[in-house]
Amino acid sequence: MVKTIRQGMLSGIRMVLMPAMMSVLLLLPAVLSANDGLFEVRSASTRLNNGVYYLNATIDYQLSSQAIEAVDNGVPLTFDLEIEISRSRRWWFDPEIAQLKQSFELRYNALSRRYVVLNVNSGEQKSYSTLYAALADMGRLVDVLVVDTALIESGVSHYVRLRAVLDQQRLPGALQMLAFWSDGYRLESEWYSWTLND
Amino acid sequence: MDAKRLRRRANTALVLLALVFGLTAIFLLGQSTQNSDEFGRLQGAILLANLICAIVLMLLIIGNMFRLFKELRHKESGARLKGRMVLAFIGLGIAPMVLVYLFAAQFINRGIETWFDVEVERGLGDALELSRTALDQNLREELARTYRIAEFLPAPNDPELFPVLAELRRETEAIELTVFGEHHRIFAHTASTADVAMPEFPDKDMLRQLAAEGSVVRLEPVGEGGYQVRTLVALPAMRAGFRVHMLQGRFPVGEQLGPLADSVQQTFTRYSELSYLRDPLKQSLVLTLSLVLLVSLLTAVYGAFFFARRLVSPLESLVRGTKAVAEGDLDTRLPETTRDEIGFLVDSFNDMIVRLSVARAETRRSEQLVEAERSNLKAILAGISTGVVALNPDLTLRFANDAAGRILDTDFSNLTGRTLDEAAADKPLLKQFAEAISEPLSERCAVLREQIVLSNDQGRRVLICSSAALQGGETDESGVVLVFDDATALLQAQRDAAWGEVARRLAHEIKNPLTPIQLSAERIRRKFLDAESGEKAHLLDRATHTIVQQVEAMRDMVNAFSEYARAPQVNLSKVEINQLIVQVADLYPSLPDQPKLVLKLDDNLGAIDADGIRMRQILHNVIRNAFEALDGRSDGVVEIVTHFVPGEHGGQAEILVGDNGPGFAEEDRERLFEPYMTTKKKGTGLGLAIVRRLIEEHGGEVSVSAYTNDTGACVRILLPVENSKERPAAAAETPLPRERAG
Repeated sequence: MVKTIRQGMLSGIRMVLMPAMMSVLLLLPAVLSANDGLFEVRSASTRLNNGVYYLNATIDYQLSSQAIEAVDNGVPLTFDLEIEISRSRRWWFDPEIAQLKQSFELRYNALSRRYVVLNVNSGEQKSYSTLYAALADMGRLVDVLVVDTALIESGVSHYVRLRAVLDQQRLPGALQMLAFWSDGYRLESEWYSWTLND
Repeated sequence: MDAKRLRRRANTALVLLALVFGLTAIFLLGQSTQNSDEFGRLQGAILLANLICAIVLMLLIIGNMFRLFKELRHKESGARLKGRMVLAFIGLGIAPMVLVYLFAAQFINRGIETWFDVEVERGLGDALELSRTALDQNLREELARTYRIAEFLPAPNDPELFPVLAELRRETEAIELTVFGEHHRIFAHTASTADVAMPEFPDKDMLRQLAAEGSVVRLEPVGEGGYQVRTLVALPAMRAGFRVHMLQGRFPVGEQLGPLADSVQQTFTRYSELSYLRDPLKQSLVLTLSLVLLVSLLTAVYGAFFFARRLVSPLESLVRGTKAVAEGDLDTRLPETTRDEIGFLVDSFNDMIVRLSVARAETRRSEQLVEAERSNLKAILAGISTGVVALNPDLTLRFANDAAGRILDTDFSNLTGRTLDEAAADKPLLKQFAEAISEPLSERCAVLREQIVLSNDQGRRVLICSSAALQGGETDESGVVLVFDDATALLQAQRDAAWGEVARRLAHEIKNPLTPIQLSAERIRRKFLDAESGEKAHLLDRATHTIVQQVEAMRDMVNAFSEYARAPQVNLSKVEINQLIVQVADLYPSLPDQPKLVLKLDDNLGAIDADGIRMRQILHNVIRNAFEALDGRSDGVVEIVTHFVPGEHGGQAEILVGDNGPGFAEEDRERLFEPYMTTKKKGTGLGLAIVRRLIEEHGGEVSVSAYTNDTGACVRILLPVENSKERPAAAAETPLPRERAG
């Protein structure tokens, strides 16, 4: 009994110390907390077909060990593909013409021991036996409808940019605070931009 | 003033800011306690609100601390009390807060831990395994079914393939059956739904497994919590030359088993997620708690400053007020504060100050009254000609008026507080005065009435002095006030007038019959002396001679009286007294049976202010007196000695006329200078009286003593060298006897 209480006290103290240590960590340069996760847009292009632009892209999703651990423990992760189309302007800010977001939800199904990827936009769901297969398939975008030519002003240069982000807002509440402090959940690619070709 | 107001406004703004953000944080925290997801969403805002609140509070506290330190360093009133109160409040606030915090942290920790149970976890794992086992049976059945279907299928090129496949699908209740060829080629496809979607080609894993094992079966999650069994077998045709030729089937999971298995799966997942999330959750909660604690602590610290200042400020003003009152500022009024005991204290203080200032005003008024009285008295004392000297019980000087200074020839202005003896060190008159009064005073004889005779190089002064005890002030011991008048001139004038009157009458009454007596005697002598002879003629001659001689003597005497009565006014001029003495001495030639006249003159003695004629008379009188005293003695010596006695007002000339005659009896010396006092057989007794009158007219004094060793007589004359004729004792007021005689 005494031991339990002491352990409780000890862990209580540890709980008190933890935020302090975490705040110390916060002050350290981000380099120190080694970020083994990396999102990268490998390639992306648009093609015009019947007055509609389609996006083809390859994205390399490398999850951090923290994120992998979370997925394996049943925490669903949401990945957002943020696509923006802007008109180039010379003297002023470029106005944004269209913006869309493709969201994928990755979760582990313990019963079938499979990783399930759900395209939130289309409701399409696929399962994979490994996490890597799931991530690789998720990173392969084929003919995603982006924008109608009606929105595109002809004769003016436009550009598209794309990035992949781990959506922290969809993380369970308890993880959000951790995500706030640690880099393990701060996963996002650089913006990848290219000119919208006719 | 403006800076102060600005600072106060900034302070208020900061406090409001802290309040707003603090309340926001608390509100958000309240919202977030509903569930942990809400907490996660709101925690950014909570963090921010708390941080801003904490920073603002920190600023306020730093400002307050800075102020307190400044006050402490400048030793301002109330600063130390404030510091102590702040410490006490902080201590009181922090201790329970930290305690509660520790317990809350522990509570969170243990509370979350109690959600999880190893037994439950194992049970869930077992349930999941059970589901899998149950489903495995299902999988095996579906695989067997697929194999059977495969056996019935015709060759891929056979046009019967599709109808057979469709027929088989209906029979086996498969969801979907597809025959794939090389390069994703679909030979036949049938599905239970009208889903036009393309059948999904087996992925690499499946193909690899198919190549290795000849068949694949697996459970795939589909849609919301649904499962399908997916099977893949190589078709016999594949073995017969078609490199890739396979049948893929999809089958539903048992109607009861599916939802149950999914429920188990979901529970298991939920549990393992929660279990995984407990540490982050604990950390988040404790972090939030820490932030709230931080804000609470800072609020407590700021509150400590705030309330300490609130509590101390009336005391501060009280201290300031007390200081001001102690420094004599009675116009201080403290601002009204609260309705508690401190407010009562402040009210009482204000009342006290009002009373004090009223009392002080009254005191001042009475002081002014007393001061006015005192200055009146001073003016009166300064105006009167009577000397007034007040002494303290220890005989130190308390007060002396101008007249006292004049009479005692002393400047009293800076002698206050010193004893008379000290003050009299170089002041002969004051010294004599002090000696004269010291005895009666030391005997504590409160009332004294005495005549005091003082003398200095300006002459002698007769004071009529009386004393009275002063009313003691706070002490029982009382001082003495001495009141004295210079009665020199008055007394002298009285005496002179009396004697002048006597002399005048005498002269008048006696002188008149003298001439007829003398004439009658001479006539008798002329008529009868020649007629008679013998015995008769001799008798007649002797008798008439005696009469004439006595009348002559009487006339001399009467003349002397009238001379005394006339008391001439002296006409002062510079007289070389030594020369005068030599001239007078020449008139007394040295004869064998006459006394010898010896002169011992001081060369330092120059001219003095004197009346030459009167001085001659004085000298004649004195020398004659001496010669008469030595009559009939062959060894008689008369010695005239002069000295210069240095003094404050030009000094004095001392003339001593001594003889070795019989001298004066001790008891006669006092009265030698009174008229009709003589020790000689013949003489009017007016010689020394006249001498004294003349000398007093000169402002000098004369005394008589034994010459040497109690033998002989010595007349000592002291004359001021410089006679200003300003004799303080109102010489001019004295009526001259001669005038009165006229």
